[in-house]
Amino acid sequence: NKMLSSEMWIHILAIALFCCGSADSRKVRGISSSYKRFYREKKSFLCIDGSKLIPFEQVNDDYCDCADGSDEPGTSACPHGRFYCTNLGFRPHYIPSSRVNDGICDCCDASDEYNSHARCQNTCWNLGQRERAYVEGQMRTLDEGLRLKQQLIEEGVLLWREKQAQLRELQQVAEDLQIKLEEHRRKKREADRFKEQTLRALKGGDGGKSFHLKNKTLGGILICLFCNPYSISLDEVKAEVVPVHDEERHLGDDEAMVLTTTESAKTNRTLTCVLAHLLNTNKKFTVQGIKKVSFCWVLICDLQKKLAIDYGTDWEFLFLNGQCYKLKVYEYMYTLCPFNHITQKSTAGTEVSLGLWGMWAEPAKNRYNQMIYENGEPCWQGGSRSTTVTLTCGTETALRSVKEPSKCQYIMDFQTPVACQPVLKQRGVHSEL
Amino acid sequence: MASFSERMAPVLVLWLAMCLGATWAVDRGNFKTCDQSAFCKRQRALKPGDSPYRALLETMELTNTRLTLQLINDNNKVRLLLELYRLQGNITRVKINELKPLKPRYEVPDVLIRDPPTEPLSVLSQDESGVVLSLGAESQRVIVSVRPFRLDIMEGHDVLMSLNSRGLLAFEHLRMRKDTRADPEAEKKEEADSADQAEATKEEEEKAEEGMWEETFKSHSDSKPNGPSSISLDFSFPGVEHVYGIPEHADDLKLKTTDNGDPYRLFNLDVFQYELYNPMALYGAVPVMLAHNAQRTTGIFWLNAAETWVDISSNTAGKTVFGKMLDYVQGSSEIPQTDVRWISESGIIDVFIMLGPTPKHVFSQYASLTGTQSFPPLASLGYHQCRWNYNDQEDVRSVDAGFDEYDIPYDFIWLDIEHTDGKRYFTWDPHKFATPKEMLQGLLDKKRKMVAIVDPHIKIDSNYKIHNEIRSRGFYVKNKDGGDYEGWCWPGNAGYPDFTRADMRAWWASMFAYDQYEGSMENLYTWNDMNEPSVFNGPEVTMHKDAVHGDWENRDVHNIYGLYVQMATAEGLVQRSGGVERPFVLTRAFFAGSQRYGAVWTGDNAAEWDHLKISIPMCLSLGLVGISFCGADVGGFFKSPTPELLVRWYQTGAYQPFFRAHAHLDTPRREPWLFGPENTALIREAIRQRYTFLPYWYQQFYHAYRTGEPVMRPLWVEYTQDPATFAVDDEFLIGQNLLVHPVTEEGARGVTAYLPGKEEVWFDIHTFQKHNGAQNLYIPVTMSSIPVFQRGGSIIPRKMRVRRSSSCMEHDPYTLYAALNARGVAEGELYMDDGHTFNYEKKEFIHRRLSFSNNVLSSVNLVPDSHFTTNSWIERIVLIGSSKPAKVTLKTADGIESQLEFDFDASMSVVTVRKPGMNAGADWTVTLE
Repeated sequence: NKMLSSEMWIHILAIALFCCGSADSRKVRGISSSYKRFYREKKSFLCIDGSKLIPFEQVNDDYCDCADGSDEPGTSACPHGRFYCTNLGFRPHYIPSSRVNDGICDCCDASDEYNSHARCQNTCWNLGQRERAYVEGQMRTLDEGLRLKQQLIEEGVLLWREKQAQLRELQQVAEDLQIKLEEHRRKKREADRFKEQTLRALKGGDGGKSFHLKNKTLGGILICLFCNPYSISLDEVKAEVVPVHDEERHLGDDEAMVLTTTESAKTNRTLTCVLAHLLNTNKKFTVQGIKKVSFCWVLICDLQKKLAIDYGTDWEFLFLNGQCYKLKVYEYMYTLCPFNHITQKSTAGTEVSLGLWGMWAEPAKNRYNQMIYENGEPCWQGGSRSTTVTLTCGTETALRSVKEPSKCQYIMDFQTPVACQPVLKQRGVHSEL
Repeated sequence: MASFSERMAPVLVLWLAMCLGATWAVDRGNFKTCDQSAFCKRQRALKPGDSPYRALLETMELTNTRLTLQLINDNNKVRLLLELYRLQGNITRVKINELKPLKPRYEVPDVLIRDPPTEPLSVLSQDESGVVLSLGAESQRVIVSVRPFRLDIMEGHDVLMSLNSRGLLAFEHLRMRKDTRADPEAEKKEEADSADQAEATKEEEEKAEEGMWEETFKSHSDSKPNGPSSISLDFSFPGVEHVYGIPEHADDLKLKTTDNGDPYRLFNLDVFQYELYNPMALYGAVPVMLAHNAQRTTGIFWLNAAETWVDISSNTAGKTVFGKMLDYVQGSSEIPQTDVRWISESGIIDVFIMLGPTPKHVFSQYASLTGTQSFPPLASLGYHQCRWNYNDQEDVRSVDAGFDEYDIPYDFIWLDIEHTDGKRYFTWDPHKFATPKEMLQGLLDKKRKMVAIVDPHIKIDSNYKIHNEIRSRGFYVKNKDGGDYEGWCWPGNAGYPDFTRADMRAWWASMFAYDQYEGSMENLYTWNDMNEPSVFNGPEVTMHKDAVHGDWENRDVHNIYGLYVQMATAEGLVQRSGGVERPFVLTRAFFAGSQRYGAVWTGDNAAEWDHLKISIPMCLSLGLVGISFCGADVGGFFKSPTPELLVRWYQTGAYQPFFRAHAHLDTPRREPWLFGPENTALIREAIRQRYTFLPYWYQQFYHAYRTGEPVMRPLWVEYTQDPATFAVDDEFLIGQNLLVHPVTEEGARGVTAYLPGKEEVWFDIHTFQKHNGAQNLYIPVTMSSIPVFQRGGSIIPRKMRVRRSSSCMEHDPYTLYAALNARGVAEGELYMDDGHTFNYEKKEFIHRRLSFSNNVLSSVNLVPDSHFTTNSWIERIVLIGSSKPAKVTLKTADGIESQLEFDFDASMSVVTVRKPGMNAGADWTVTLE
């Protein structure tokens, strides 16, 4: 159908060059005013694709003569034809010829059911009004949305700078600590070597050396665990290391201070507890030093990871990181924490992961239109749960709907001002009303 | 939804237990082999030889309608009673029961549509070695031989069929259990009985074999209060190499010999992820077999609803083509013969021998016994969109809208089990389907319909009306101890209504009344699934054989349970409209006679190319035994089809009787528009082709309803003398006039279709290219190809204005496609009625004969006292294989003549007559000069 219509347009243009004059034809059903020129009453009718010349009486005579369906714009005779609903007061549009006189009202002006049992009312005016009200509402939403978006962009830029500053600060602290630690280690090593030599002199053996190596490896593990933003998830870390509760008790003042400078308390707590746990097992050796350095690295990595995410051209989506939005659908509570994860909690209390932040989907239209969350809870017959979140323009930031069209594949509609696009507004202005 | 895993957790665990282990394919360990089925093992241990049975001629009685005769087993002196009837329409009925059974043995009710009318038998001759009876005209005789007992049915000098010729008649008489004679009353009774039976005194001490009084399979034990009760009989078909039927099996059309494996099994089972090309039992059972050779077609209908096994052997099966040729050249060779043996666990031997002589005679003979295909509502021949599950009303609305957006017609959208409130059938999920009538009205506004599932397992829940009513009326099947039988199925713990009871069925039917079934409307129809019945924690995933249905065990009635479920449901749909509207009910389980109640599908297949291929022989086999309204899940139920497989499946399904796409809950969405514009266009085209042929499909179903002939039929049914057609099952005919060879190979570049008939010509329906019959034709194919041919000599009416649904096309004009044969002749029919009521029974229809000969096409009323009017008219006549006329003239009933315009395509010799315009119900002639 669509291919045909594009072909038709070529012919229309070609023929339009030859046809001029605008003698009004008798009313031919099912055509738009721009097509009237082809249907001027005369002896014969040339199919618009030029394929056939037929007597004019055969136009709309309920028999398909033209392969392109152009002789029957007003009947259902042609398999690939189309019927023009004028729909005065609403949007004019085409319907397939097969919907002419099929007993179902398709055109709001009822023009498609001129010879059927269907009793169609002209609803164009009502629809038009509704549509206009709707479009106006949309426009208002868009205006308001764009205004809010601007604010959020400004906040986003500030937030971004703040984070960058934090990062630099942390890096500096870490470096300083590292240097101090190295110094401390060097001293300790010397002391150990001395001790070792002494011991060896006494008995032989190499216990101290291995102890040292063990600790070095530990630092290495921590760094690679957390500095590898996409290769390893928080959950995996959790799974690998048994969390220790009340970890704050093991933290010195310095760490507590650092902790308060980060906004994602939950994440940090987990990391801290990992750290604390690991360190607890090795208390004897430069506990404070390793703890401090590693912890800084953890925070740095966390921040880097966070800042590596694409928050839009103006960091307008940054503010969403750290927020969570809930929606109850039937017996389930859904929670979307943008750029982090999505969960589904049943009234019975079991919580299921519907996916972790994956990426922006990239449809041609808009780079920041859809988010993909993947690798959620595994599904019964293989694969894992995933969610596609579509962002739509609205004045509030909220989760609007959740669906599961196929098993374990969720679709969410997430409304937020930052999804508002100025383009939408232009399209609205040009709508045919 | 995660909801599934939580709500269904218990069931799921069971299901997992059932099906994991083997990653795919059926877990064979869940289902019995013959060796694991005690009676089958016992019976199969009996090898061909001299039968111990002897006919006692002195007991012969011949009345006008039947012959009776006692048989005695010389080994144990137990007597049987043989009854022989000659039935109208060339059918012989042979019944064998115990002369004096300890208690009555089950005889299957409700399958025969009436007591079959008899015709007189007469004795032609008699001596001490036997009796010869006349079967009326055509020099047909039955020879009853005395020692050993056997029956031979002859025509002239030819033996058509022999019974017990291999001595495999075996009848396990009912007996008292020897080891536990707890009941002195019964003992006394038995003594009295044996006193009666003078000869029985010498009764052999019965060997107490394992499995006679109790049997275990996996963790399930089958108490057998009645002990051994199985029966067996052999049949021989001299001159026959091809036997068909006994569905349901996922196997070739031509039945294979079973010497080196298990017999074909008939036992209605819910088989998870069934395997192809083997004789395992599936969801339904029709104990009917057809035997065919170039001279004659005959059939056997073994009326028994118990678990049944069928062994097939053949003396030519092992021979190579060369070996057969050698036999032929040397002129030596024994006559080919196929031997068949039926074994059932209980009941009696009740066999209908249908003597043909043509396939169509056999169809009509079988139809005279069990009825014909119910005439379905026209809309049910359109396309059905199903999925487990459409999640909620919004989902239904958006899928419905998708069909309009992509301009694809459909008639029915389906709801699987998730639409209910916790798998309580007749209810709706209060959140997801809160306003079902609103949803149904939305569909009605588009002239579309819905099917919702109603399964026969009832959640045991005292807050559920249906359960409470069934329980309080005592309508549940009972367990061996007399309590209500309970099993696990979708809702968790469930009861199973006893559908064998007429009062239960009447009550069930009443539940479909609009005021009982809340949220139902006239465009809501029903689907009966799991009616084997499926019991997740039962033996072989079905009901325990010692469960009790009134006086009978499930052992006796098992295979007919599913038929009763569909029967009661269809009756409910008829009753809710006051008897006006035709029902539409789809069933998974079935039995002989199920054709009277609706449609059948081939169950839970998979998205694999072999499953696409097997859909053809599976539906062909069903058609041969009366069940025409057959289809397979388009796309495959389990797993996910590639776009290519999905497209090919739509193209195949569009030319099979029941055309429904369906998908498992765990599969990704696959509505026709989800695979890119090219695939959407291919699927749209396939479905549209279906809709253009709806007038032909409808006429074929009317014909099936009238005659019992299959709609989708194997080639050999029409080309009975052409051995090249006998084993063809990768192509098929729809009626007589369309030959379909769907593309069922991945990456196919071409298919080779056999075009049958030396005298025939076949026309490609798309290009009108002509091909001669009796040849293998290579057809190059692309993704858009559906090789379909119209037989030269036929006229097919079509509606070329494909709309949103079949109802939208009701008043549309017809195009007549007349394909001329070598003699320039063509014939066809045009049938129409209101499409949905029973008024056709009152002759409110138009049924016309269309014929073209001597360059005149005419339409003649076939049923002059029929009365129906239509707005439909003839918009186009396409004469394929015609020469160019000088002029074309229409003459209407009032004698007025008018010239018609026409086009002539010289390359394909096609005349297209433009807009003749006469009413489709009128008399007229169109003359080419």
